Amino acid sequence: MAYASVIGSSSVIRGNVRGEGSLEILGRVEGDVGISGDLSLGPDAVVVGTLSGARIVIGGSVQGDVTGTEAVVITETGRVVGDLTAPRIGMSEGALVRGSVRSEGGAPSARSSSARSTEVRAPAPIERPALRSEGRGSEGRGSEGRGSEGRGSDGRGSVPNSAQAANFAPAANSAQAAKAPAKKAPPPPVIQAPRAGARARKRMLKR
Amino acid sequence: MAGNVVGAGLIVEGEFTTDEEVVIEGTVRGTLTTAESLSIGSDGVVEADLRALSVVLAGQVTGNVTANSRVDIQAGGRLIGDVKAGRLTIADGASFRGNVDMDV
Repeated sequence: MAYASVIGSSSVIRGNVRGEGSLEILGRVEGDVGISGDLSLGPDAVVVGTLSGARIVIGGSVQGDVTGTEAVVITETGRVVGDLTAPRIGMSEGALVRGSVRSEGGAPSARSSSARSTEVRAPAPIERPALRSEGRGSEGRGSEGRGSEGRGSDGRGSVPNSAQAANFAPAANSAQAAKAPAKKAPPPPVIQAPRAGARARKRMLKR
Repeated sequence: MAGNVVGAGLIVEGEFTTDEEVVIEGTVRGTLTTAESLSIGSDGVVEADLRALSVVLAGQVTGNVTANSRVDIQAGGRLIGDVKAGRLTIADGASFRGNVDMDV
């Protein structure tokens, strides 16, 4: 597919890139990238900053959160240190990800999703503290508000979605495994939480 | 195909450095440096200091332009800023306000 805009392989941008249309990044961007259309990072691309777009295909390195309104796909050469959020998330074998993975929602930005989060938060408030501590334990990063809200909704709002993601996403897999017991027997997770965190960490280290 | 394309609707802000050709149909703010040619299309809007091998300007530029070889301001092009280049052409229908330094 031809992208409307291209940042070439020898290019360095220190600043933000935003606007309409699709964008292919082959070089380096030190700043946030937010566009309405599709976004692609070539194998040699480096972005230090957040990415948002419709369908985001990452073949390069990203240090920052990635939010896709349609999908986020990490190819076998992709590396991401940051959280992934999109209705659909794909990861190829060989992709490296460190951060939380949420395959849900379709709002343009995870930060402006108050309507969605209240809607999914309502059913089971008991689970929230446990999920929050699990979130902080396994990741140790990301803002409090987003972390807890995202996990809360992941646990029950979109089970088919995250289960689907678990098939090919190790990070989502561990998160899902940690959450499964909490759903059957409600209260104990406060104790379970750190263990789940340690398990997730161990998994991360093995990779 | 050009190495860099800032398409219509895209906004790049900050310091933009490259060794490849650049085509601007969108908006660039800050500074832009390329070792190759730079083309600013008729819908391009630039509020930046520009350095390039050569510059073809059909859009709007506010900022100083430095080219190692030449600067061509085409009809419809609009430049507010100084030009430093060995060669400069200004087409009929272009607008330009600024100083010219041709290294004489």
